[in-house]
Order: sequence, then C-alpha cells, then structure tokens
Amino acid sequence: MHFGELGIYAVLFLALYFEVFLFITFLERKPAGKTADRPARFPTVSIIVPCFNEEKTLAATMRSLFALDYPREKLSIVIVDDGSTDGTLKVAESFCGHEQVSIISKKNGGKYTALNLAIERCTSELVGCLDADSLAAPDALLEIVKKFEEDQEVMAVMPSIRVYNPKNPLELMQAVEYTFGIFYKKMFDTLSAISVLPGPLSIYRRSSFETTGMFRHAHNTEDMEMAFRMHAHHLKIANAHTAIAYTHVPRTLRALVKQRTRWSQGFLDNSKDYAYMYFNPRYGYLGLLVLPFALAMFVGSLYITGYLLVHGVRSISIRIIDFWFEGIPLHMPTIRFDWYDIDTNALLFVSCIMLFMTLAGVFLGRRFAGEGVSNKALFFYFLLYGFVAPLWLASAAWGSLRSKGAVWR
Amino acid sequence: MKYIDWKKYVLALCITVAIFVTAFFLANHFNNARIADVRATENQIAIDLLSNETQYELLSEQSCSDIAEGSVLSDALNSLVSRLSYAEENLGSKNAEVIMLKKQYSLLEIKDYLLMQKVAARCGTRPVSIIYFYSNSGSCANCSREGDVLTYLRETYPLLRVYSFDYDLDLSALKTLINIRNVRGDLPALIVNGTTYYGFKDVGEVEKLILHVEKLKVATSTSEQS
Repeated sequence: MHFGELGIYAVLFLALYFEVFLFITFLERKPAGKTADRPARFPTVSIIVPCFNEEKTLAATMRSLFALDYPREKLSIVIVDDGSTDGTLKVAESFCGHEQVSIISKKNGGKYTALNLAIERCTSELVGCLDADSLAAPDALLEIVKKFEEDQEVMAVMPSIRVYNPKNPLELMQAVEYTFGIFYKKMFDTLSAISVLPGPLSIYRRSSFETTGMFRHAHNTEDMEMAFRMHAHHLKIANAHTAIAYTHVPRTLRALVKQRTRWSQGFLDNSKDYAYMYFNPRYGYLGLLVLPFALAMFVGSLYITGYLLVHGVRSISIRIIDFWFEGIPLHMPTIRFDWYDIDTNALLFVSCIMLFMTLAGVFLGRRFAGEGVSNKALFFYFLLYGFVAPLWLASAAWGSLRSKGAVWR
Repeated sequence: MKYIDWKKYVLALCITVAIFVTAFFLANHFNNARIADVRATENQIAIDLLSNETQYELLSEQSCSDIAEGSVLSDALNSLVSRLSYAEENLGSKNAEVIMLKKQYSLLEIKDYLLMQKVAARCGTRPVSIIYFYSNSGSCANCSREGDVLTYLRETYPLLRVYSFDYDLDLSALKTLINIRNVRGDLPALIVNGTTYYGFKDVGEVEKLILHVEKLKVATSTSEQS
C-alpha cells in the first residue's frame, strides 16, 4: 500500500466513523413517528416569504401557505419583494386582498435584509421563513408548533426538506441526497448539533432575535450563520422530522454547481468566523463531531477526487502512449467472467460497507419523512453524485481560498 | 458545557476499527483463495503434462496426428499466467508463496517447451514459440511494455506459445536454460526460432520475427470458425 492509498483509507475511516456514530445515535434514540395530536395552544405565527425574481413559483408557495392546517387568525404571511426585476411584485399583489397577507416592496439588498425588515414589523410569537421556491405540507406548521410546545427551551425548529416533483436525472439525484439529509438532520437534532436552519420553513421564537440579533449577510448563507450564532449563544435548535417542506431544486448542472458552491463556500467562510467552535467541548457535538467531520469530509472528498483524477489521467495517458509505442492497435480489453478478475482488496469491502450505510441512511430518511424515493432516483444518485459533487467542492474551496464571495444566481 | 457521551466516541471507534479489520481479513482470505486457485491450476497442468508425456511415449510408433500440436497447455498456461501476475501484483513479488508458485509455473513451462520440441523433432511440425525473459527487480524499464505486446500477440494468435520467465528467479532449471541459451541480463530478451533478441520489440517487430505468422493467422481463423 503506497502513501496516496493510505490517504484514501484515512478518509474512508473518518467517513465510516462518522456514519457509525450517527447509527449508534439512531439506535440509542429512535425518533417517534407522526401522531394525530394537536397543539394545546396555537401561538401566533408570521411566515415571511422573501422573493427576488420568483414570479414562476410564488403563487404555488402562497397556495401551500393558505392550505396550512392552522387557525387563520393566528397565521400571517408577509411577502417581501426584494427589488425583483420580473413580475414577482405583480404576482404578490394578486394576493393583496387576502386578510392574512401583507406585502413589503423594497430595494434589492439581499435575502437577509428582506428577512430583517419583515421581522422588525412582526409582532407574532413565532417568526419563520419560507423561500418562494418552496412549498409547505398542510400539516407542516402544526408539527413544528408541536415541537416548540414539547420543549420550551427550543428557540428554532427546522423541518424535513424534500425535493418537489423531481424529474430529470439531476433532480432525481438531489431527491436522494435530500432524503439522506433528513436522516442526517434528525441525528444532528438528537445530538443537539443542527448546523443550518434552511430557508424552506425554518421557524424561530421571535424572542431568539433579542439574544442573537438579526440576520447578517454571512457570506450569502445567512441561514447557516444564524444556526452557528444560536449555538454560540447556547440556544436550542430542533428538527421536526414529521414536518415536510418541499423545495424546487436546480434543474441544470450550472445552476446546481452555483447553488452548492454558495452553500459550501458559506460553510467554509462561516467556519473561519466561528473557528473557535471547532474541537471546543463548550459546543457539544457540534464542536466535537459535526463541524470537524464536515470539514474533514470536505477536504477528504477533494483528496479522493484529486487522487482518482490524477491516477485515472496518468494511467490512461500511459496506456495510450504505450499503445502508440508498442504498436498494439487500440482494442477493447478482453473480458473474462471469472471471480479472479474482481479486485477483492480491503478498499472494495470498506466501500461496500459505506454503500450499505448510505442506503440505510436513505431508507431511514424515507421512513422519517413518510415518503419514498424511486429506484430510478437511487440509480442517478449513485451514477452522478461522485462526479458532480467534486465540482462545487473544488469551486467553493477555490473561492474561499481567493476570499471571493459566492453569488446567489 | 454541553453533555458529551465520550463512551459513544470510543464505541464508534471500536466498531469502525472492527469493520476495517474485517475488510482486511476478507481481502486476505480472498488472496489466499487466489493462491489456492493458482496452486490447483498448477497441479492440474502438472497432471496434464505427465499425461501428455505418457501419451507421447505410448503413441511413439503411431501417427503423429494423434498428438495434438496445441497440447493441453496453451489455454491453461495462459489463464495461469494472468492469475499469477495478479497474485504477484497484490501480494508482492517477494512473497514466499508467490515465488514458490512462479518456480512451479516456470518448471511447467520448461517441461511443456521440451515436450513440444520432442514432438516437433519426431513429427516434423514447427510449433511457433517465444521464450521471453523479464525482470521485476526494477532494472528493466521496458519489461512491462514487452509483456503487453506478448499478451496482445497471444490473444491475437492462440497457437502462438509464449513462455515467460523471471530472469532473477532462483531456480536451477531456469538457470540452466539461461546458460544453454546464453541469455545476457539486457532485458527484455526474446528467443524466437532459436535466436535471442534484446531490447523492446513492438508488435510489428515481433510479428516479423515469427516465421509462420501468416500460417498462425490462418490457423487462428480456422480454429475460430471451428
């Protein structure tokens, strides 16, 4: 075994350790399923819908909010048009007569400014956000409110997020990734280590902003930074896995890489800002497990990609050059169906176990969310993810090293 | 400070280590199975060779057509060489088991070569064979490429017999062969039709050295059709 291969084993060891840790956590405390119970009290809730050029999806988002199983008089919806240049404001104004809806139009300043403006004007007990490209399941808010009721110390709750109507291979790939994420987020919740409060239906106690302050630009990842800041103030974040929010995901590779570069670079840049949390027992499993492993996996994934790329290119080049000089015409290698030809080294077995654990994570995520992902989606996930993910990881690492901010769109 | 269950960290570590140990154990188990497979193939070849020699003696007064020129070994030896090189790659060329298997393989090759020479002398046939000397010691930069060329030729011309020998293998029969043929250490070295050639030879060059390459082609297509 040479040095480069040792690195691969080290990355796989860390990844496996992390997965094993999460599965032990799952076995220790299995999440309860959905119940028909209703909250004893319905607190007032404001849901902010920040929009920037969302004319195509805003109406559906609004319809999902109107369909929420929640007392109307307790729920208000604030659409904030953040200086859209398309017909978003017109779509928003079509809901003007609705008693629950209020509309704010402002000059473009970024999502965090839209959220802050609306939060300042809200007086409700709970304040949340629903991105204008996302939809809430009818009982999602109810499930989230139950979570706040269960534990009065909980200051923010995030739902399970699923991909809305995935169709093309990239969307199907992301559907599996999000389902796997449902399992991850629930385990992070059990460990009190949720590291992001995503845009689709994360709800806060309004009082939490008095402690943390308002949203910041935060390298275009204000939802991640807010979670970091809440941990910095030792405020509790929970996951209501039975609350489902659906989101539209990028349909093209270019859009996907751009979105994920923003997320990944946001993670790296926020990690620099909150570096003191790393390996700090004051921040529990967030500081001693989730953040260090997330960073290690970021670096490790890039290492494995680089290793495979260098070896792949080198061996293909050598083969081509050799073929050229050996005088062997290019031909398909002879394929023999013999067990002897299967490379049964330790890497194969470790990879199989990793694959099995990934499938188990997807299966559990599917069970938590109560909805499945198709075999076709699984096929595209295993086919594409290994090729696509390194693109945004490399792009984010490069951007972060150059201290160049990632863009929204 | 938040509650941290340190035991869980240790438990996760133990399970991960156990998984890795199992993976290495399984890999080792399959490598041993490979060795056993090579040994079984070698034993089979040894029996086949003995049978061939006996058949040769029994049929000495009968027609040469009863003795197949291709003998039993070409397919078996070809399969064995790829398995042996895989074992060598995975277990290392210095592994005692691999060295032992290579010695046995080299002996079988020499025996097959001698038997074919005897058949050729008696029956007037002209088996096309190449004796190839290589080295794994690192001193032969072109050995791997020459190996590719010979593998390609062997796949292209099934009747071509390639006997490959590790020049550095400590085997008295092989040393004798090297001495008789007067092979120097300038590897790779090829013996074709009794003449020794040194240095890398590409596909075209080796094909030129083989006298009956056209005949081999005909034989190949005939054998493919049948």
